[in-house]
Amino acid sequence: MAKEMIAMLLAGGQGSRLYALTEKLAKPAVPFGGKYRIIDFPLSNCVNSGIDTVGILTQYQPLVLNEYIGNGQPWDLDRLYGGVHVLPPYQKASGSDWYKGTANAIYQNISFIERYSPQYVIILSGDQICKQDYSDFLKFHKEKNAEFSVAVMEVPWEEASRFGLMVADDDDKITEFQEKPKNPKSNLASMGIYIFNWDILKKYLEEDEADPNSENDFGNNIIPNLLKDGRRMYAYHFDGYWKDVGTISSLWEANMEILDPEHSGINLFDEDWKIYSRNSGMTGHKISTGAVVDNSMITDGCRVKGTVKHSILFAGVKVGEGAIVEDAVVMGGTVIKAGAVVKHCIVAENVTIGENAVVGAMPTESENGVATIGEGVSIGDNAKVGPKAMVNKNVEGGEEVW
Amino acid sequence: MVNSNTSALGIIFPNSYDSLVPDLVNVRLMASIPFASRYRLIDFILSSMSHCDIDNISVMVNNNYHSLMDHLGSGREWDLVRKNGGLHIFPPFVEKGANPYVGRVGALANILGFLRSQKEKYAVITDSNIVVNFDFNAMIKAHVESGADITVAYNEQELPNILMEKKDNGLGYYYTFSIENGRITKIHVNAKDTGIQNFSMNMFVIERELLIDLINTASVRGQIYFERDVLLPQLNKLNVQAYKYDGYVARICDMKSYFEENMKLLDDHNLDALFSGGQIYTKIRDDNPTRYIEGAKVQNVMVADGCIIEGEVEDSILFRGVKVAKGAKVKNCILMQDSVIEAGANVEYLIMDKNVTITAGKEMKGTNTFPVYIGKHQTV
Repeated sequence: MAKEMIAMLLAGGQGSRLYALTEKLAKPAVPFGGKYRIIDFPLSNCVNSGIDTVGILTQYQPLVLNEYIGNGQPWDLDRLYGGVHVLPPYQKASGSDWYKGTANAIYQNISFIERYSPQYVIILSGDQICKQDYSDFLKFHKEKNAEFSVAVMEVPWEEASRFGLMVADDDDKITEFQEKPKNPKSNLASMGIYIFNWDILKKYLEEDEADPNSENDFGNNIIPNLLKDGRRMYAYHFDGYWKDVGTISSLWEANMEILDPEHSGINLFDEDWKIYSRNSGMTGHKISTGAVVDNSMITDGCRVKGTVKHSILFAGVKVGEGAIVEDAVVMGGTVIKAGAVVKHCIVAENVTIGENAVVGAMPTESENGVATIGEGVSIGDNAKVGPKAMVNKNVEGGEEVW
Repeated sequence: MVNSNTSALGIIFPNSYDSLVPDLVNVRLMASIPFASRYRLIDFILSSMSHCDIDNISVMVNNNYHSLMDHLGSGREWDLVRKNGGLHIFPPFVEKGANPYVGRVGALANILGFLRSQKEKYAVITDSNIVVNFDFNAMIKAHVESGADITVAYNEQELPNILMEKKDNGLGYYYTFSIENGRITKIHVNAKDTGIQNFSMNMFVIERELLIDLINTASVRGQIYFERDVLLPQLNKLNVQAYKYDGYVARICDMKSYFEENMKLLDDHNLDALFSGGQIYTKIRDDNPTRYIEGAKVQNVMVADGCIIEGEVEDSILFRGVKVAKGAKVKNCILMQDSVIEAGANVEYLIMDKNVTITAGKEMKGTNTFPVYIGKHQTV
């Protein structure tokens, strides 16, 4: 039985720009939005769009991600035929290789895709926060009788040179591709989400593999080759919420935007487009007498005795008496002890912040940064972590880190 | 099996004591009454069993069980989807002209064939109006070590007033024990004694074979109640041991105790005591985290996911998906799933069932001795 379209999710990225957060886990496994991980978004999009077969390509620190995905049940992707499969690089009779590039990762899993003999393959990226209906994208692809389509977002012209840009005609047919150009001819940025006809993709992957000079990358090799051969390539305009969360500041921003769905457009309260995740299973959260909670998102297992303003608390976070948490993203299991001040920062999972310690600071003209504390770190009593610090080792009591 | 000496199957009676909370069980049964912001009563027993590797569980539903079946599904959330065992829901088996059973004996007589074909050495039998994070393995161990025929769990507490005031009626039997050296010498039915009592938790451990024998005999004799008709008359023949439970116990005996037992969990000591053991599993709804909008004021509340809070909430329990609009005031309330308090409404001492809406500007108040209950899907 053939599947019309299956998804291949590129989740191998190290996410080196998230340094302290991705030391022990792959970028798609980074927690987001109070109870999710980044990968919940593409996975939920898949199942909400009617795609029931997803291959997840992993290679960097896959332990957390593997455990998190499990059999795919939280996303309704535990299927008899299809479902979600984690695909790490593997050893073959003729030698073995790490995934050399995005295209090579798909190339090494051609046999996985062939099991489902799909007509179309959608390539997704595991490091974006986006709510998108892929079935609408596929409809576009079919209507245009395309061989390749790419989802694009209009970006401000002054920022265009940071992106891979698609130049398209009035019929959305792509005529040119510019990778981070100095002089942009278009402001249509590629979102890194592609639909291929499977026969075309397979042909180009095989040709690309045979080219010893190729970087085996979609943006740098496959797309230019398709253009060179004059394939039918179209740009699909997407105007919903989309954010690449590849840096500390963009990850922090995207989290903060959840607190303002009316303006940012990332509405998690959408009954028709639920984002699924593996649940913590903790009790309801508790706000004690004397606590202050304002403009924040709080989830199961939290215990708040102090002040929480404009912040996101993940499952099981404890905020002690007199502690102040503001403009902060505090991930699961972290304990903020009495009197600590935690501002404008990202605190990873299972961190302990000691009494009266100070982490981060509200931005000023001279100093502006998102302080970041890595997983499992302990910050001693009365310690101080500056607004630009990236901490992945314990900080002793009274010590200062800038 | 690795633990074959201590392996046990579970039998849960979800309808016991339904008659004590007639409002709450109007559209459900005791076991599926919402509790502690995101659970149903049965979650506590099911999770406790699951943590003790009791993974062959029979739920003996009698009536009003649609909500429970919806809640339990395949049993996956409690890790009870098993090739061997797993979760069984036994509705009453009614032959032409016969009435459905009333007591445990009739219920168990219906599944004697099933019980005979199982492999577990022991059976653990419970009700579901009792909220505990219970270590069944410890109880089974005590049962084995004491050489008892039957072991019954109890805790030491005063009898709730409501039980003593209640006239004897079919489903309302409760039991207290006289105990000598761990052995139950007398079972008192619906005692009216004041002061601390050995109050039965209606949890039993018994060898499966013995259970089958006792039920077989009792059913032939037309007996109804396991405790009253089977155990009580045979206390001199059967070695019935008492197992004292010192952990946190919340019993739902009436609307007032339902209200109070929820509210008690606002005290961290109680919350920690109840949830310090294994995790309590429940049905997943995939709500997003709760959002507190600017201007929200909350003090001393327990809140589940999926709520949007813009008004003031104090001393209350909010279940999943509750909305409290701007300017609304909520105090001393239990708001079940998806209830809505519209702008400017002011509510106190209410127990609002699922999907209740209090429209804008309305004021509604119960008192601490008489919390007002509003039924499912009502709009005030």
